[in-house]
Amino acid sequence: MMKRIMGLNEKALKRLPVINLLMMLILLFPFVDLPGTGKISGYRFLASMHRYWDHRLPVVIGAVYLALLITMAALAVLLWKLPSRAAVRVSLGVYLFHAIAATVILFTGKMVMDASSLAITGGFLVKYFGAAYWLYLILAFVGLAQSMRTMKIDTGYIVLVIMVVIWLFPIAWLIMISFREESGSYTAYFFPKTFTVKNYVKLITDTSRFQFMRWFMNTLLVAVCSCIISTFLVLSTSYTLSRIRFAARKPLMNVMLVLGMFPGFMSMIAVYYILKGMGLSQTLVALVMVYSASAGMGYYISKGFFDTIPRALDEAAIIDGATRFQIFTRITIPLSKPIIIYTVLMSFIGPWADFIYAKVILGDDVEHYTVAIGLYTMLSRENIETWYTRFAAGAVLVSIPICILFICLQKYYVEGLAGSVKG
Amino acid sequence: MKKSKEKKNSIVRIFREGDTKTRLSCFIMGFSDMARGRFVKGLIYLLFEAAFIAFMVVKGGANLVNFVTLGTNQQGMVFNEETGIYDVSMGDNSMLMLLGGVVTLFVIAGFILIWISNLYSAFEVQRLKESGAMIPGFIWDIKSLFDSKIHKLLLALPLIGIVIFTVVPLAYMILMAFTNYDMEHQPPGNLFDWVGFGTFVKLFTSNNGMSYTFWHVLGWTLIWAVFSTFTCYFGGMILAIVINRKGIKGKAFFRTMFVITIAVPSFVTLMIVRVMLAKSGAINILLEDLGFITSPLPFLTEGTWAKITIIIVNMWIGIPVTMLITTGILTNIPPDLYESAAIDGANKLQAFVKITLPYMLFVTTPYLVTNFISNINNFNAIYLLNDGGPATLDYFKGAGKTDILVTWLYKLTMDSRDYCYASAIGIVIFIMSAVLSLIVYRNTGAYKNEEGFQ
Repeated sequence: MMKRIMGLNEKALKRLPVINLLMMLILLFPFVDLPGTGKISGYRFLASMHRYWDHRLPVVIGAVYLALLITMAALAVLLWKLPSRAAVRVSLGVYLFHAIAATVILFTGKMVMDASSLAITGGFLVKYFGAAYWLYLILAFVGLAQSMRTMKIDTGYIVLVIMVVIWLFPIAWLIMISFREESGSYTAYFFPKTFTVKNYVKLITDTSRFQFMRWFMNTLLVAVCSCIISTFLVLSTSYTLSRIRFAARKPLMNVMLVLGMFPGFMSMIAVYYILKGMGLSQTLVALVMVYSASAGMGYYISKGFFDTIPRALDEAAIIDGATRFQIFTRITIPLSKPIIIYTVLMSFIGPWADFIYAKVILGDDVEHYTVAIGLYTMLSRENIETWYTRFAAGAVLVSIPICILFICLQKYYVEGLAGSVKG
Repeated sequence: MKKSKEKKNSIVRIFREGDTKTRLSCFIMGFSDMARGRFVKGLIYLLFEAAFIAFMVVKGGANLVNFVTLGTNQQGMVFNEETGIYDVSMGDNSMLMLLGGVVTLFVIAGFILIWISNLYSAFEVQRLKESGAMIPGFIWDIKSLFDSKIHKLLLALPLIGIVIFTVVPLAYMILMAFTNYDMEHQPPGNLFDWVGFGTFVKLFTSNNGMSYTFWHVLGWTLIWAVFSTFTCYFGGMILAIVINRKGIKGKAFFRTMFVITIAVPSFVTLMIVRVMLAKSGAINILLEDLGFITSPLPFLTEGTWAKITIIIVNMWIGIPVTMLITTGILTNIPPDLYESAAIDGANKLQAFVKITLPYMLFVTTPYLVTNFISNINNFNAIYLLNDGGPATLDYFKGAGKTDILVTWLYKLTMDSRDYCYASAIGIVIFIMSAVLSLIVYRNTGAYKNEEGFQ
């Protein structure tokens, strides 16, 4: 019988030595199964891995790896005979290493094989990995999960870490490209050869073809103006619809709901001609009007919020002789900070991301472009080769302020979204 | 229903019970007000009337005639031979005529509203006079705008904005669906005519490829909307459940990591992903370098591949958003439900299927519907990722294999200027969304019982 140890999951603990031994054995079987040359065992592959890394990295990873395998054997015995918290902790570390290593091998197998003398001509493909490797990959993660279970650590971390890596991959790539020295959209290799900050400097200083800073200021101006106007419109609409009962209220709400179901830019051509009739086409004023004029239709979420503010407050104020307008400005607005911030945030971000309306209204007036269409033009066929890395730099510059805003105001964003669900 | 009946009755009542001054207000607006001491208000009504008559004389009348001529020319083929002369003598184009007509109709509608309000005011002031009460002056009217009539003050600007920038353009575009304003009928060179439901008939049943394209694009739109909605919904919910597990520390950290992907504007991420997935893009290079493939995968260049790719990329964008939404709701599920389930011997999967899922579906149905509709209208994901491509010869009028109705609508307006088809498609999208939301909204508690919170 095993000793009972406080705070450890015994079921999982019993499985650990078994997995340890299985992994030891698996490595003896063919890791790589080349169609021509034959089979290569796990140990031989790992040894050749050391040969590959040796001239790249100062640390001899392969050797460390083999040493760890030997500790695994010792660990299996230890876990079986004398289970302790420390032993489990060590095994957790070992499995973490194996899981990472198995993943790294998956992605570097080709390089290892090509660099080592084991490789055959014609190139190595991941599909040449033998059953032993795949079992090793699975066991590494199973072992990791079991060690975590034994320690009563949530295995959800594994899922989360993998997902975070996948989710941040394109963004990391974007940042990497923005620092790449070589221009051009496509390179024959993944990692840039040299890094530089020139893309950022050129993007801002080189105004011969594109004026990024000007676009940036345009967008900022449009965003600030339209967010002030639309916040005002949304708040007054939603307050009225939430608090005041008048004959046309329900029909009005239904009409706005119905209007919202038409695809938004179905009407953009008509909007363009109306703006042209006003003599406003190709101006930033027109853009502000387009973004904010119909904002009242987005009353839904903030109305839901206003609905939750107790009516008793209003009634008390009316008894005290306040007018409806005073109630709106002095009581409701101060209580509505979350929804105001949400509305401001959403309407501020809109102009940074929209490019359909901006394109229709601004046409070819490059001076008045917003960043969205500006950056899009950089990717057009004739510009992409020279401007691609600068596009990446511009995209990073646009994303940074919005990211910061989002992260700081995350709470309100969630509250606003929750409001939209509740409705 | 009852209310509107009463209202109609009350207009009739004004005619029946109003005295001469009130009745005269039908023709000279504000007369009753002015005659009974509400001079400023009456004057404003009168000014509105004068302005309206001036507008109708100078422009509106002609606009309406133009609007109607467009309407009487339904047998356009006979008329076409005269078109040259007609065109030159009018010196106008059908598109502006249609727009002018719509604007005029809205001006008339607005005027009718003011006219009715004038009648009410006339009757009100008459009755006040009869009962001998004090007649509130103009200053009082203004003051009441900040109190009992605050809805008029607060809604004025939003409604004007909505009418000018949404209602008028929409009315114009809807009318356009009933004309033949396509590539071959481009003003000012050519006139276009009313064709009734002709555009729809062509779109639904013609044999020249138009209807083939339409039904296929519609089919893919629905498939896309279903898949993109549900993959993101369940993906986001599972992610939220994982982050919210008791044992996970650093919840805020993980959440922030995913929020970053929401915060980067979607046009940036989509264009980045587009370049990454190109034939010689980063993903293919990487996969080749790593030995996964020998030749580039046709992520965006082959129909079925492109469809799957787009759904997956959309998951990348949509899952974090759903995660944020569901986080709040998940924490609202009473924990004792899970405890008693655990006591009864239910495992985690059973608890999810029997407790979490029904609860979530119940609470988030409205969100699912809005999300479904917004996916039907998801222009960015389709257009920025792949321009609706890969292009195909099977489809008509520039539609590609992954085009959904909205992106096709955009192409029809921007590239080939087939406005009537674009409008007809817009109407189809509207009908789809409206039917769907009508069914669901009518059945949700929030709609039926909106005072529930107060």
